[in-house]
Amino acid sequence: MGRQNSRKMWSIMALCAMIGFLLLPIATSLNALASGGGEAPPAAPVAKAEGDKKDAKVEKGRDVYYKTEGIVSGAPAPKTEDGPRDYPRYNFESRVLLWFANQQHLYYGSFVLAVPIFCMIIEFMGVVTKDRAMAKKYDQLAYDFIKISLTAYSLTAILGGILIFTFLTLYPAFFGYLSSIFRPVMHIYALMFVAESGTLYIYYYGWDKMKEGLLKWLHLSMSVILNVIGTCLMMLANSWIGFMMSPAGVDEQGRFLGNIWHVIHTALWNPLNVHRILGNMAFGGGVVAAYAAYRFLSAKTDEERAHYDWMGYIAMAIGVAFLIPLPFAGYWLMREVYAYRQQMGITLMGGLLAWLFIIQATMIGILFLSSNYYLWQALGRMRGAEKYQRYIKYLVFVLVVGFLIFITPHTIVMTPAELKAMGGQQHPVLGNYGVMSAKNGGINVIITTTVLSFIWYMRGNKEPMVPWKNFGNIFMGVFFGFAYVNIIWLAIYGYYIPANVRVGLSVPQVASTLSCLFFMTALNGVMLKGAKQMGPIEWGKISARSQYAIIMLATAFTWMMGLMGYIRSSVRLFWHVNEIMRDNSPWAYTHTVGFAANMISFNVLFFWVSILFVFWLGTLAAKKVPVEAKAHAPGRVPEPAHGH
Amino acid sequence: MEMMIIKAITDPIFWFALLAIGVVLLFVGKKMDLLNSTAYAAVVSVVIAVAYFHLVDHYMMDMQGLDYWYLFRK
Repeated sequence: MGRQNSRKMWSIMALCAMIGFLLLPIATSLNALASGGGEAPPAAPVAKAEGDKKDAKVEKGRDVYYKTEGIVSGAPAPKTEDGPRDYPRYNFESRVLLWFANQQHLYYGSFVLAVPIFCMIIEFMGVVTKDRAMAKKYDQLAYDFIKISLTAYSLTAILGGILIFTFLTLYPAFFGYLSSIFRPVMHIYALMFVAESGTLYIYYYGWDKMKEGLLKWLHLSMSVILNVIGTCLMMLANSWIGFMMSPAGVDEQGRFLGNIWHVIHTALWNPLNVHRILGNMAFGGGVVAAYAAYRFLSAKTDEERAHYDWMGYIAMAIGVAFLIPLPFAGYWLMREVYAYRQQMGITLMGGLLAWLFIIQATMIGILFLSSNYYLWQALGRMRGAEKYQRYIKYLVFVLVVGFLIFITPHTIVMTPAELKAMGGQQHPVLGNYGVMSAKNGGINVIITTTVLSFIWYMRGNKEPMVPWKNFGNIFMGVFFGFAYVNIIWLAIYGYYIPANVRVGLSVPQVASTLSCLFFMTALNGVMLKGAKQMGPIEWGKISARSQYAIIMLATAFTWMMGLMGYIRSSVRLFWHVNEIMRDNSPWAYTHTVGFAANMISFNVLFFWVSILFVFWLGTLAAKKVPVEAKAHAPGRVPEPAHGH
Repeated sequence: MEMMIIKAITDPIFWFALLAIGVVLLFVGKKMDLLNSTAYAAVVSVVIAVAYFHLVDHYMMDMQGLDYWYLFRK
């Protein structure tokens, strides 16, 4: 009892320490915010005369975005020149080196920020579930997840260091300027990183000691704090790229005007935050699922196969759950880009970078096709799911049609002879599918079909027993049918109305898709309450092809992340900070699509080789688990280890 | 006559009324044990789904200050 009380006390102290970690950056920032982090208070009337004198001395500037006045508190953005002072270099393109360092840091950073969120969700599921066996299984799974992220965490920190050194050695003028603007929060970022590390280590190493009762809840609270810190870190990092794309808080010369909140809260900050958090989650889910697939394929026993099949399924389900809203967050980001600078939006989607969006569409299509393929394969491990197999071919047809429309370009690069043969820049038939109206229809059809596949998967081995099951099934079928009709109708309707009305049609299309996602998943859940089980899910009895589909999903996601990062960065064209600080290095031009694709592929390859190394390290740790701990685990259903 | 029909179908009240009819039919069907009849269930489902998606289209466009019925009114 005494030992238990002591553990509780230590746990509470650890939790308090974490909250302290969390509050530390805020406490340290108070001074900065007090001195220059907010609007200057209005001067008192008695001090007006004195204030007028001071006004004559202080220089004021106008915020380029917020249009407010502020006291100039920093130096103007440096006017750089191509030379060793502003752009020291090796005998290599500096931009490519920075691209590599940045991308690798981002991959690992996304992974280690996403995985603790998974752990929090899964650990919570384990705590609230009434089934003790399932609770242990969830707990083991959450532990497995955090174990993978721990090794990756060290690599993230190392890559962060490499990135800073790359900036300092190759782009000193730009990095100096950015640091001067973000000076009030630079150390907060560093402190948050310390807080994240401390919290992560306590969370990981305290797992076994805090596995029951109040201690478990305290442990779960730690994961919440860990994720709050992680999210704040990500948002701070996003503020830098937001500032580079859509600067605020500075005047037209780039001089800081004393309000750090304006610098952070730029026009694109919030859409970037939402898009990145969803993207990180989908990416993290993909990587963990790929890890599980790798372990599944290399498993020696049925028990191992069962465990990693289940792990892959959970990771993939979480990843896909965040993948579905991702295109909508992307639309919001693009909308805000257009609202900020229409020219920027046109460069992205209708100009210089438009072809990259065709590649992006292809990758999105591959992601959804892989997810669906995995779900159809997963039906094979359930008795009773055979009834859906014969309808899969129709889903394939719908998906492929949606995919082909989604990836059709508006115009293609042609020789004059080809142009003449085709009779113009647009193909007489296919050209009609290269517009947003058709593409919105295509992607919404794909997402709705994915929702349908998921619902079939959920019903695979179950037979609803509610008295109104006939009506429920018919209603579901009709609702899905009319959702498809509505999406396609809106896509066609778009061709007959003016552009200013047409742009709004994507919203009801998305609403139709989301209606299927939320209402039909909920209805399905209600119908399956007390459902008759046709047989258990035979974990581990799934084709190897399904695991390759998971690996494909994860790789496609990694590639797409690299692509979108490149697009977002390239849209600044020849600016370090858009319209404020010009890039005068010899590399201030946009690469060809081919070069960019090769570079992205190299980054993806490097990431996957290095993460395989991390996975391999994980297997070394697993091999150290005593044999007795595993010996009693029976059957196909995964049985959690009782200790870590 | 044609104008009247267009006026009626471009008014969200019409679709609300249709949705309400669908919901009433659903409750009537439940009370009279008709929901297991495939034809009845299909009719009720179609009424609810058609009304629901029209309301989604109307209000999602209206929310953006746009007119979903643009072509019909022209």
